[in-house]
Amino acid sequence: MTTTMLPVSCTAQWMAAARAVESERADALFVDPLARELATEDGFELLHKYANGGLEPFVCIRTRFLDDGIAALRPADGITQVVLLAAGMDTRAFRLDWPADVVVYEVDHGALVEYKQRELDRLGARPRVPRRAVAADLTTRWLPELVGAGFDPDQPTLWIVEAVTFFLTHRQAADLFTTLAGASAPGSRLELDILGAGFLRNPFARTFLDAMRADGRPWLFGTDEPVEFLAGTGWQVRELREPGQPGVGEQRWPYAVQPADRRGANRLWLVRAEVAGGR
Amino acid sequence: MTTTSGVEKVRDWILGRHADRDELGPDENLIDSRLVDSLSFIELIYVIEGASGAEIDFDAIDLQDFQTLSAIDRAFFGQVAR
Repeated sequence: MTTTMLPVSCTAQWMAAARAVESERADALFVDPLARELATEDGFELLHKYANGGLEPFVCIRTRFLDDGIAALRPADGITQVVLLAAGMDTRAFRLDWPADVVVYEVDHGALVEYKQRELDRLGARPRVPRRAVAADLTTRWLPELVGAGFDPDQPTLWIVEAVTFFLTHRQAADLFTTLAGASAPGSRLELDILGAGFLRNPFARTFLDAMRADGRPWLFGTDEPVEFLAGTGWQVRELREPGQPGVGEQRWPYAVQPADRRGANRLWLVRAEVAGGR
Repeated sequence: MTTTSGVEKVRDWILGRHADRDELGPDENLIDSRLVDSLSFIELIYVIEGASGAEIDFDAIDLQDFQTLSAIDRAFFGQVAR
């Protein structure tokens, strides 16, 4: 690879490797034909290194959950912009069916955007929807870059924030969702995953968490109160799910779904929210 | 009258999760062997709590107590078994 990648960006290849493996299963939750090429050997090395029981099924169930959120879009929703934040090696623009009039924005930092585009060109990939890649640093003021690419804050948006919040501090995560709410017209949606706080304290996760930290991509943020957390940033949760529940990969999740009041449970939240104060 | 001892319930639960295994030695390392991973660890805690009747303090967990079946037996069932 000729482009220097930030440590967090290497997780993009890692996630692509997980999607590639999933795509080749007989009972695949989705098929991502570009994932294997985009993952490169680096991605498969990380997949092996970080192998941690529930992580791979979680990644795949999460992918499908967010795919379903896009599939559920209807013209009556008025959503014409879908923004994939820290898109990484996401190929939804190339593999999903999209409603008419939707434009997809993929936001990630410049080195990744350039590298991914070169690979997509090499593979002859053609998007199935108007697609705009936006080079921006999500830790600085990045919204102007998105607007510069054509994004209109006065039009309803679906924001997909996948595999992002782990790497932020509580403050950074709150700032991010507040920023998104501020750029969201009434009817806008936010779909994302959030780690429960328990996992970060789980002694059996220590080896994994230490490896992530040592490699420069520590997992920092989790909350057991995602509804309250998001409400504080301007988002009203419409659907709060966990892997293993009916319709959320229950056939593939190798763990028991814990009751809501279960003390100390490790949660992996999958969330659909709508911007507050709309309609 | 015979009853299943606490640690046997734990053993049964672990074996029940791994169709490819039909035995589990008392000193086999549960973590290195990946018989218990980070998410099933939480379920292991609940199984131990259910079998021992004691509540485990999540913030005071000593990993050594969960490395093997015999460690679990010592830490959570030693008093009860005798």
